[in-house]
Amino acid sequence: MFSWSLAVRNLKRRRLRTALTASGIVVGISMMFILLSLVSGMETQARSLARALGGADITVSNSTSFRDRMGGGGFFGALPSPSTLDASIAETISGIPGVYAVSPQFSLSGSINGRRVTVYGVEPASYEIVTGGLNIVEGRFLSENGDGEIVMGKALMDFLNLTLGQTVSLSAGQEEEGRIFTVVGVFETGMIFQEYAGYVTLADAQNITGEHGLLTQILVKCEDPSIVSDVASLISSTVPDVRVTTPTATIQQASQMLNTLTMFFATIGLVALFAGSFGVINTMIMSITERTREIGVLKAIGAKNHDIMKIFLVESLLIGLIGGGVGVAVGSILAYVFPMLTSGLFAAGASPFGMRNPFSSAVNPGLGGRAASTIMFATPAITPLNIAICFSLGALVGILAGLYPAWRASRMKPVEALRHV
Amino acid sequence: MSKLIVRAIDLSKVYRRGKVNVPALNNVNLQVSSGEIVGIMGPSGSGKTTLLNIIGGLDKPTLGKIFVDGVDITSLNEKDLADYRLKKVGFVFQFYNLIPILTALENVEIPLALMGAPKDERRERALNLLRMVGLENRADHKPDELSGGEQQRVAIARALANNPSIVLADEPTGDLDSKSAMAFMKIVRDLNRRNDQTFIIVTHDPLVVEQCTKIYTIRDGRIESA
Repeated sequence: MFSWSLAVRNLKRRRLRTALTASGIVVGISMMFILLSLVSGMETQARSLARALGGADITVSNSTSFRDRMGGGGFFGALPSPSTLDASIAETISGIPGVYAVSPQFSLSGSINGRRVTVYGVEPASYEIVTGGLNIVEGRFLSENGDGEIVMGKALMDFLNLTLGQTVSLSAGQEEEGRIFTVVGVFETGMIFQEYAGYVTLADAQNITGEHGLLTQILVKCEDPSIVSDVASLISSTVPDVRVTTPTATIQQASQMLNTLTMFFATIGLVALFAGSFGVINTMIMSITERTREIGVLKAIGAKNHDIMKIFLVESLLIGLIGGGVGVAVGSILAYVFPMLTSGLFAAGASPFGMRNPFSSAVNPGLGGRAASTIMFATPAITPLNIAICFSLGALVGILAGLYPAWRASRMKPVEALRHV
Repeated sequence: MSKLIVRAIDLSKVYRRGKVNVPALNNVNLQVSSGEIVGIMGPSGSGKTTLLNIIGGLDKPTLGKIFVDGVDITSLNEKDLADYRLKKVGFVFQFYNLIPILTALENVEIPLALMGAPKDERRERALNLLRMVGLENRADHKPDELSGGEQQRVAIARALANNPSIVLADEPTGDLDSKSAMAFMKIVRDLNRRNDQTFIIVTHDPLVVEQCTKIYTIRDGRIESA
């Protein structure tokens, strides 16, 4: 009927008012849109994170995080390597009840062809048992006596322009010249910064630094996932001076943080939408008061209550749709800008060049540090579903906010409405 | 004798203003035959508009009955009254009351749209009506681009859109200069003659009065003379 063209023209007649009213919705919808995009982005990352952290139930490391705090090139240059544990501790831990398998690890801050990266020295067999192994996309994982072999992240391969089977020079510290390794495999994690890393055998890693018989982490798999925290406390009470972290707990922490963030945004978004809806109610009541006589005329010439209701509901629906549409657009832009801001802020925490974040590592050496970085690095994902949800949310707010004013308009007595000046 | 189209029996209307009852109509009896142009005169506050509103189904009497086209409209509920206004009555107001954001053509289309007429059909009918009041070349103009006289002619075209049994007009020339008022009354006259259209016009204007076929005068809520 006339409802649509009437609504469009009435909104056009008062452009500024329409824009101001809709902007109330825009704020709320763009908030909600960023929130939903962030959650979508985080879900994607949480999935890859879960895979990356998949295996080890418990990580054991030295309780003093770094051997030479602020050593080397300082904060963002050559980072301090983690403090070491004696390899015999792995034996002790494997004897603790509930422990299914242990895998010793020696990680170091080294250079591959001059590029600073994190290098993990692992025992191939136990590493696969404890962690479930890497996601190898090319070649294979290290062989049991794979001295001189290296498995590298896809991103690092691309960065260094390497292909499978080529050799690289690996050294501890910053020396250009190092030992020669052959690339036997390429892994992917889904997170670029995790792929700036290489895996060699434990023996090779220890040889490079000359620290034979020492470890940086011991990865532990429990007999049953439900006993992880019990086993963790048993380890910390049995073995002195170690830090025991459970990546599952870290993920839980991370997801709690994510939930808090979600709630925070959702609350702000809803409050903004709520406030925006009052703007719509206010505008609609104002325009109904202004058009009382018009309503009287329409009723006099035969418009029924539902005709009047429809005219005003369509109008507030349109305000909601404008708000929803612009809100999605603004939200998309912000969601695009947001990761740039955060990556700027947290560049130190999530540098793609293999430097482990000193803060998160200090808190949680080993895999846990990655989880913290990942949250900082959340990239919003703009999905059609989110667009649809936000657009509909705008429309819904428009309709809900329009209900009362439209109902009031529809109930006007024609004689009184006509008398209105 | 042509058929009776409006028959009001003992109509009374009392408004409550706070604690005071204000009588607006007092035992009014009125009969209008099809094809008449009835003028209702009287001083302001005498109840003319109240009577017109009751006939038009905008207001209900406190007492009494009123039959229009054989139907007791006092017994209709709100929805049926709206339907009655849509199909049986056309309204013309003193201040034209066109919808300002719609063109002349669209204003005339409103009752047709409310009836659910398809777009092409209502467009054609609205254009015919505008042609009838001599405004086909002004069809795309908004009310504020039209003179008072032109707006009132659009209003009468709108009132006629659904082919109503009666057209009710409340001081339709009250805001028009005499030339426009005469033009308006000429249209009324023509419609009446050509289509046997019935008009009930509340007025003070002698120009209108002289065109009426019957005059009622209301004073203090009572019909004084016929």
